[in-house]
Amino acid sequence: MSCTLGEVKNRADLIIYWGGNPAECHPRHFTKYTIMQKGKYVPNGRKGRTMVLVDIRETPSAKAADIFLQVRPGKDFEVLTLLRAIVKGQRIDPRAAAETGLTLEQLTDLADRMKRAKFGVLFFGMGLSMTRGKHMNSAAALTLAAELNAFTKFVAMPMRGHGNVTGADVVLRYTTGYPFGINLCRGYPRFNPGEFSSVDLLVRGDVDATLVLGADPGATMPQPAIDHLARTPTIVLDPKVTHTSRLARVHITTAATGITAPGTVYRMDEVPLPLRPPLKGPYPSDEEVLRRIIAAVRKKPAWEPDPAGVMAG
Amino acid sequence: MELTVTKNATCTFCGCVCDDIELHSDGERIKETKGACILGQSWFKNHTAERLYPAALVNGREATVDEAVEAAAEFLHAADMPLVYGLSNVTCEATREAVSLAELVGAVIDSHTSL
Repeated sequence: MSCTLGEVKNRADLIIYWGGNPAECHPRHFTKYTIMQKGKYVPNGRKGRTMVLVDIRETPSAKAADIFLQVRPGKDFEVLTLLRAIVKGQRIDPRAAAETGLTLEQLTDLADRMKRAKFGVLFFGMGLSMTRGKHMNSAAALTLAAELNAFTKFVAMPMRGHGNVTGADVVLRYTTGYPFGINLCRGYPRFNPGEFSSVDLLVRGDVDATLVLGADPGATMPQPAIDHLARTPTIVLDPKVTHTSRLARVHITTAATGITAPGTVYRMDEVPLPLRPPLKGPYPSDEEVLRRIIAAVRKKPAWEPDPAGVMAG
Repeated sequence: MELTVTKNATCTFCGCVCDDIELHSDGERIKETKGACILGQSWFKNHTAERLYPAALVNGREATVDEAVEAAAEFLHAADMPLVYGLSNVTCEATREAVSLAELVGAVIDSHTSL
């Protein structure tokens, strides 16, 4: 259950950031979309909104918050689950609350605010989705937001990091039916995070060639994954010679998205926006290079999935 | 020197994708970034239209794009289970082509989302 950032600007009177630091990572999120703007149904702007920050440490974003709740590391799932129980009016053992680093009063106050809000929004960052519990945490946050709709309008939205990672999700969804980690080696899409996620595939050594574009796994992935990228043929398309390019067999320099390459990208709320590149560069776009690779592959004998499955022969 | 002004330029550094930036450029570099935040400023000023890198590298040596495309096609075609990974800072148009390529060679396709 989500919405656009324009709806947040015009309607949200309760804004919760969970496990994210927008002041440093998304500097204009506050001023352009969420807390600072005057909106159609929030005419008083900042005064008409309450901002709650939930995190394991007091980041610079806490200065912008009305309420800062410091959760003990690794206890986000427990806090979300307690909030779901309080929202439903179930009784809570104060000791369970104490374990999370928050008091029962703090949790009850937040649950009340969420139920009383006219339009609440929960933005969750990688501090929630990439720490202990991972997608279980995201699922708990989404469930809490969904359940709050029994009382008021409430939405949840992930704080996406990189430029067009949202666009990648959208395009993969409308072309294959799944958002990421899709295996096409049987000729039809299969989705199984953990089995077909890049890090797992590379660490296990399941793949025998990798095409990297718009990423630098050589700088960000765990060492065993990087070792496998170096061991097997890796191909990189990037505007710069990256860490991954240095361990790759093939690197092709491409135009920089939005600087010298035109196209479409999706904002974190899944609104597509056109790019207006200010410069003309000497390198071809990723799109063009991919088309040329596709044309070169098509000249080779067609690949067909083995009817006996990938385990055969 | 006369600077070219690009109004309502779109910044792709973070997920906010602000599309209200005014850029002033001299054809090679972006000199001014009105409305951009500190991250957007360094993003726009960090990229130029100069030829700073070789067109392509194959096994660490400079190569033409044609040679590199041929080598890439050979590796991906020969692989039993290739992986197409990243897609975080490329356009949707490029991602569509990446999906076509992944389907053609029977690959796994994945983005930063799975990390």
